[in-house]
Amino acid sequence: MIKVNNISHTFYLGKKGKETAVSVLKDISFSVNEGEIITITGKSGSGKSTLLNLVGGFLRPTEGEIWIEEKNITTLSEGDLADFRLENLSFIFQSFQLIPSMTAYENVELPLVLKGLDRDIRRKRVMTALERVGLQDHASYYPSELSGGQQQRISIARALVMESKIILADEPTGSLDSETEQEILAFIKELNEKENLTFLIITHDEEVAKIGHQRIHLHDGEIMKEGVSV
Amino acid sequence: MKLQDQWQFIRSNMKKSKSRVYMTVLASAMACTFLVVLASVGFGIHDTLIKDVIENRNVTQIEIYGLDKDGESKEIGDEEIKQIENMEGVKAVTRSKELAQTPVYRTDNYAGHGWTVVSHFPSEIEAGMEVEEGRLPENANEIIVGHHFSNELIPQDKDVNEIFDANGELLEEFAYKDSLLGKEISLTVSKETNGKEEEHTLNVTIVGITAPPARGWMEDRTVHISEELLAEIEDFTGTVKGAVHESEDHYVSSGYDRIHAYAHNMEGVVDISEQLNEEGYYAYSPAEELKNINVVFTIVKAGLIFIGTIAIIIASIGIYNTMTMAVTERTPDIGIMKALGAHPKKIKQIFLLESSYIGLLGVLIGIVASYIISFIANIGLTMIVEGMFEEQLPEGFRFSSIPLSLVAITVIICLTVTVISGSKPAKKATQVDVLQALRREI
Repeated sequence: MIKVNNISHTFYLGKKGKETAVSVLKDISFSVNEGEIITITGKSGSGKSTLLNLVGGFLRPTEGEIWIEEKNITTLSEGDLADFRLENLSFIFQSFQLIPSMTAYENVELPLVLKGLDRDIRRKRVMTALERVGLQDHASYYPSELSGGQQQRISIARALVMESKIILADEPTGSLDSETEQEILAFIKELNEKENLTFLIITHDEEVAKIGHQRIHLHDGEIMKEGVSV
Repeated sequence: MKLQDQWQFIRSNMKKSKSRVYMTVLASAMACTFLVVLASVGFGIHDTLIKDVIENRNVTQIEIYGLDKDGESKEIGDEEIKQIENMEGVKAVTRSKELAQTPVYRTDNYAGHGWTVVSHFPSEIEAGMEVEEGRLPENANEIIVGHHFSNELIPQDKDVNEIFDANGELLEEFAYKDSLLGKEISLTVSKETNGKEEEHTLNVTIVGITAPPARGWMEDRTVHISEELLAEIEDFTGTVKGAVHESEDHYVSSGYDRIHAYAHNMEGVVDISEQLNEEGYYAYSPAEELKNINVVFTIVKAGLIFIGTIAIIIASIGIYNTMTMAVTERTPDIGIMKALGAHPKKIKQIFLLESSYIGLLGVLIGIVASYIISFIANIGLTMIVEGMFEEQLPEGFRFSSIPLSLVAITVIICLTVTVISGSKPAKKATQVDVLQALRREI
């Protein structure tokens, strides 16, 4: 489902003409099968967020290829990448990334609006998604009126409403207390088991990493296995 | 993303910065009003002048004065008239000879003078002359008279001071009220030989009365007589066209006094005039005058619209500013939308629609305000000019006129300028970096 082939990524930082090359990822390869949860761990600065951004199409690798659903996304134009994301990928962010001026309902509805679906279809799908995260009664609330856990549930509902098979999650429980964290993790597991959804989760939390069928640990931009880079 | 959803999105975003949007719309509306009102002065005066030209003359009519043949002036005869009739676009060529004196017409106890002509009826009918009552003359002593000919007739058995009012108008009670159709009237012509005046009276029958002229204020008191009757008058006076004095003979031509060519429409007049001039005819038409007026006023109007456009360009800076601020404020939202899969084109479209919406609101308000100002100006300024300068403006004079073409020009200019001013911020929106917008750590 996802194939990452020998990708490397280098950032050029500093003033133009005096840039310093910082290699963030080096020759990373892995693949994720349908219905699998893969967790990517590593310390801050290890390159795990960059890896998620590359898979999500927010960045282009300096070298290597990323194949998702038989499509090499590294060769797609910005417009095609946007269309690809809309059809195939869903995101859960650490800081939820909900639009504050929109209600919970409108936030969940946004991807469907972007897809150009009819209002009636949107209503049905949004209410189903909100029911699944248990927040159907909070549809008219604004993000600022919801707790952190509830906001993350709205963020998950927004990911679910897209009905894509792959969900990329960046520290999904990073902003939550331990009780809410357990709740969210249980929900992710449930979605994986019942609906065969594929998750790629970035985390620095070992508890979260444990839910992965496949675990990748990054250290200085390289995949480590039992202390040895692979 | 559907257009309806885009509108919804734009409207909810605009609500967030109401006062800023209101001020921008106000600036656009003021600029549009300035453009429309400024240009409307050009349109108003142009309309008034055209109305003046058209109201006083028939715009499809070309007056032909004479012919220049090899540098010498030549009289226009039937051969030349046939040539003009065969020209492309010519509907009819009317020609008439005027009696060189004003005869006296008498019937019952009434008498009056009448401008007497010999007309070529087939061409007159072709050109639009209508006989309202009766028919065209068939015999030598049959005539037709203009619709207002009866106004010429005044009672002969009354004192002149009695029958006219202070303005010199004939009092209604003394006006000739009977029908003239079928009436036999006398036509008296005179001649003067060696200081001795002689009169000769002919009896004629009125067989037709023409329809009133198209314009209400015009009066037709013409008397149309036959060629034979003219010949009889010439026999009596011994002069060309019945001139009273022999000495006048040198000044009176035996040819046609009035020759008018008629085009099928106003557009054809200029072509026919050019053709006539090429052939050496002296021709004049109001359409040519209109053409010159139109050229001058097109330049004036273009200049006024240009000045007004500068105001819209200045207002567009406000739109640019508003849109740039909107993009900056909504950068996180744009980032989220792009992360979810919003196509850059759609994001650009949303911001372009927003700037167009502001422009459209401005132009709509501006046009409504312009119509109100124009209405007030046409009433108020006329009163001011007449009151302060004691000048009587021509009837129907308009300072300001807003035709639909001006509205269309304004809408096009305003929307073009606002789309251009919104395009840079819209492009900036498409270039928002998703990761920076989401404030991610890289």
